[in-house]
Amino acid sequence: MKNLTIRNLSKTYFDPYAGTNVTAVHDVSLNVEQGEFVCIVGPSGCGKTTILNMIAGFLPHTGGDILVGGRPVNGPGPDRGVVFQSFALFPWKTVLENVAFGPKMRGVGKAEREKIAHEYLALAKLTEAAGRYPAELSGGMQQRVGVVRALANEPDVLLMDEPFASVDAQTRMTLQEELTRIWQEKRPTVIFITHDVAEAVFLANRVVALSKGRVLEEIDVDLPRPRSWDALNDDPQFKELTGRVLQLVRSA
Amino acid sequence: MKPVILNIWSFLVRLTARFPSIGSIAPFIPIVAAWWIVTELQIFPRVFLPGPGDVVRSFGLLVYTGVLPEYLQDSMVRLAVGAFWGIALGIPLGILVGLSQRAHTALWPLLLFFQAIGDIAWLPILVIWFGYGLVTMTVVIVYTVIFPVVLNTVLGVRSIPITMERAARSLGCSRTRMLWEVVLPGALPNIVTGLRNGLGYGWRALIATEIIVGTSGIGFLMFDARRAGSVVEILLGMIILGILWYIVDSWILAPIERATGQRWGLVTR
Ligand SMILES: Nc1ncnc2c1ncn2[C@@H]1O[C@H](COP(=O)(O)OP(=O)(O)OP(=O)(O)O)[C@@H](O)[C@H]1O
Ligand SMILES: [Mg+2]
Repeated sequence: MKNLTIRNLSKTYFDPYAGTNVTAVHDVSLNVEQGEFVCIVGPSGCGKTTILNMIAGFLPHTGGDILVGGRPVNGPGPDRGVVFQSFALFPWKTVLENVAFGPKMRGVGKAEREKIAHEYLALAKLTEAAGRYPAELSGGMQQRVGVVRALANEPDVLLMDEPFASVDAQTRMTLQEELTRIWQEKRPTVIFITHDVAEAVFLANRVVALSKGRVLEEIDVDLPRPRSWDALNDDPQFKELTGRVLQLVRSA
Repeated sequence: MKPVILNIWSFLVRLTARFPSIGSIAPFIPIVAAWWIVTELQIFPRVFLPGPGDVVRSFGLLVYTGVLPEYLQDSMVRLAVGAFWGIALGIPLGILVGLSQRAHTALWPLLLFFQAIGDIAWLPILVIWFGYGLVTMTVVIVYTVIFPVVLNTVLGVRSIPITMERAARSLGCSRTRMLWEVVLPGALPNIVTGLRNGLGYGWRALIATEIIVGTSGIGFLMFDARRAGSVVEILLGMIILGILWYIVDSWILAPIERATGQRWGLVTR
């Protein structure tokens, strides 16, 4: 795992119907150290997805640099794992085959990659579901598969775009707790995008507040781990931090 | 009166629950019964409308003389050859047109143009080129099978969500492996639908072609029977067509559909 450096990143979309340019990301710089968990938070339309898609290599950027371990990003690659809001599991593969897909692409043999996949499935308490197809799982289970599928490939950076936005509130809290637990165990470098301030503070080492395509402020979160909602719900430091981030995001 | 009907009804319901294959036969019972009654009442002369019994006797005779098994085999082999080439040419072509914008621009108008000319509209010129026989029939059936396969494959490839491709690429899948890992399985439910349509049209086109240019096959059997004035054999041919297609569809195509798109939740039941 390596660090991620973003320097003066910008993105201008061309709208062919209106014939105008829309600048969605202005001059964003960010440095993420290896093993850090960074949340980018901001209101709808502030450019979060655009930034993440550029890091993932899905979108070309129109200015600045994106470096992973010192090397510029050029298209999607296995060094940057992605967890999608819409899960994006392969419906024609079983849960096990989905999780084993990354190792398979790396050329890992069948027995070995299934061992890896089983290990990661156990990490997310999904052992029972290994032989099932994604359509046979609940939304929360599907997204857990999405997370471990990306992790099983051992990317340098894990990119997550509102991965828990489409599950119900209770499941979301469980998934958040599980993600912090898995993160503590495996220590991947994570960039997590959300518009939910409490989620950002709960998960992150550092929260980056974004507004209208610009970074407003970076706030360190040194709440103790392991984190759980039971412990943090009434924690004064947690309340103070969420309050601060919320104010930042709303004031802009 | 009412309880009797109810009793018969509940008996039938229990019977079909016990033996599902009866369920697929049941809808035909009233039709055959009506046919039988009409012929028994002698509303039409027997030579114009023979009864079910006559058709069964004719079936036995044609099986006994070996004509029917031979013709049946000829028709089925032609269908299989059509299916093989339709798949072998249609799926790769469909994937090419579905993936490449350039191929789409170049080939789509041609596909639509030639699709419109349609199977038996080719017969006059094919007969001049290849004469009466196997080549002509093969060309017509391949031609008919291929378009639904191509068009549905294109649709299938284009309907694969962009996130599927992105997910695969982020997991290290190369563009070439993408074909096998994402494009083909993602388009498979549509491909199967295309094949189902294609074979359905192809089957009809084959019979029509056999009637016009054939020297064997079920279509030829029916045409030959018309020449001999044998309504029994014409009816027999028609019934065989229906049964055969039913078997191909429910024993081969429908199970494939169930094992792919439906299992994966891509097609809602
Ligand atoms: N393909 C595109 N063409 C033109 N403009 C776009 C395109 N995609 C996004 N934009 C614009 O860029 C801005 C940022 O969009 P983006 O999707 O990154 O926002 P977001 O922060 O992810 O919002 P949300 O929380 O709603 O997902 C928006 O103003 C949007 O209208
Ligand atoms: Mg977004």
